[in-house]
Amino acid sequence: MTDDSDTTTTSTTANAVPSASGATVSSASTTHDSEPKPATYYHLAKAVLYREFLIFVRYPANAIGGIVVALFFFGVLFYGGRLLTGRALTDSIEGIIVGYFLWTLSVGAYSSVSNDLGSEVQWGTLERHITTPFGFAPVALLKGVAKIVRTFLTSAVILAAMLLLTGTQLSLSPFTVVVIAGLSITSVLGLGFAAGGITVLYKRIGNWLNLLQFGFVVLISAPVFDAPWTRVLPLAHGSALLQRAMVDGIRLWEFGLLELGLLVGVAGGYLAGGYLVFQLATRRARRLGVLGDY
Amino acid sequence: MGRTAAADEQRDTATPATEAATTGSATAPALAIESLSKQFGDGENTVVAVDDVSLTVDPGTVVGLLGPNGAGKTTLIKCALGIVLPDTGAVRVFGSDVADSHQAAYANVDAMLEGARNDYWRLTVRENLRYFATIHGVDPASVATRHDRLLDRLNLADKADTPVRELSRGMKQKVSLASVLAGGADLVFLDEPTLGLDVESARTLRRELRRLAHEEGLTIVLSSHNMGVIEAVCDRVVMMTDGRIVADNTVSALLSAADRNVVRITSPDIDTALLTTLRSTFDVQAVESTSDGTRVDIAAGGDTLYAVMETLRADDVTIETIQTLKPELEDVFVELTGMAPEQAEQRSGSL
Repeated sequence: MTDDSDTTTTSTTANAVPSASGATVSSASTTHDSEPKPATYYHLAKAVLYREFLIFVRYPANAIGGIVVALFFFGVLFYGGRLLTGRALTDSIEGIIVGYFLWTLSVGAYSSVSNDLGSEVQWGTLERHITTPFGFAPVALLKGVAKIVRTFLTSAVILAAMLLLTGTQLSLSPFTVVVIAGLSITSVLGLGFAAGGITVLYKRIGNWLNLLQFGFVVLISAPVFDAPWTRVLPLAHGSALLQRAMVDGIRLWEFGLLELGLLVGVAGGYLAGGYLVFQLATRRARRLGVLGDY
Repeated sequence: MGRTAAADEQRDTATPATEAATTGSATAPALAIESLSKQFGDGENTVVAVDDVSLTVDPGTVVGLLGPNGAGKTTLIKCALGIVLPDTGAVRVFGSDVADSHQAAYANVDAMLEGARNDYWRLTVRENLRYFATIHGVDPASVATRHDRLLDRLNLADKADTPVRELSRGMKQKVSLASVLAGGADLVFLDEPTLGLDVESARTLRRELRRLAHEEGLTIVLSSHNMGVIEAVCDRVVMMTDGRIVADNTVSALLSAADRNVVRITSPDIDTALLTTLRSTFDVQAVESTSDGTRVDIAAGGDTLYAVMETLRADDVTIETIQTLKPELEDVFVELTGMAPEQAEQRSGSL
């Protein structure tokens, strides 16, 4: 924490919070001494990410529990499957690991976003994110990004543990994996936003919406080669690309433009759709006066 | 936190667009609510929560919202904040319409609606202040000194690096207030800010609220059942019942207008016959037997007092004690709303 009280600066902040009132925060303001300076989206992103980190480390049971449970299920899948199918499973273990990695990413992104709103309501902090000059939607989006970053970290631990457990080697180009996996779960983030909006409106239906995460297994293993239309479903196309990147070692720039374009399009489409549902649902909740109720 | 200086500074460097807005807001009230109505439900289940309410709050004033449960106070506040969308009417914060220019409006307003449940309990006190300052549009580094001062004033300085969940209920409540003030909003809504606080904490909070309003020009809209807080802190009281405003005036004006001066007379000579006479002639409000005799409370404003004394003298009554009972805000509240405030909440939180 720094104190800028000794400095006198004159600055015009391009992307600062708009304020037409002429009060303490303005889009084009001179700041000096200890007068408050407007926060930019950079400050907002930093604050949201840092808060996410603090919540993550201060709920250690949640953080560690998620990793342990994911590894337990993988262990059951791996050892149980090997007992039942023998070498057949070992031959396809690379695909299973990649699929499981993407599934943990997807579940993490989806449930954290959809459950986050419920948590904020319970904590009594939701309203404060609505009455922000940045607007509720950008804050919610940044919180979603923070959740994805967190999910990447936990899924990376799970991936490393799976590779060690099975003695498998995969091509792990960080840039390629992060971009493809990130865009793949962006579509899930959109579903999470839609689910979060519906939760705000109808309250305790989180358990029902969480059932959707089992559908991610189907989407990740969708037959994109036999049924190309499935590529427009969330996760399906991204899963196929991630398999090729991590199993066959194909780098991001080696994919065709059409394939990458579709990946971006599906991600953007579902994110925009989910965001729209979220906006409509929260607006209806405001109309009904049930936004902060639980 | 210091609206004036920043506003003056901005005027020096503002672009034409912001200058126009600034000029418009220079004389604008802190809060202007116009013909606001909100109802919930349909058909027979319709509940009119707020019914055509108009209200203006000047900068730097403290306005108390009083009303029984269901009077519409919280809905009015949530409508003012845009958390609940009104059916009709408009809300402006320092000239910015909450519905049309919510980003500009929200830069100047914050609220404590959930008491102690208003921030992250796993975060420390200082982390909460920094986070909510940022969310509110202020670079937390630029207000670090102010945060320290705020924590100091609320007696939270030595708990600055303690997670909120480890604090007492009263301290949590103060952290909530601190986090609301952390972003430097010029208008804050406080819903039951002293509920659950011990006597000393409530006193500290009241003192700090008065200081913020009078020294730093903070505008406060305070909703409470606690008449003591309202009387001590507020410049003006708005009483609501059934979604409508039934009184809007200063505390002293409301008390004067009540015209309910009561004389309390105690004497061993007041017998049943005299009581019957008093009841038939005057507005006897209470009768009680005490060790000094019978105690009678009679509404005796103006010349009625002389008539009461004449009646007592005619009956050779020797007065043991006599005192005038001034009306309290609670009496005015009951008279205007026809309902008693939530006594339990009031007593638990009152000084």
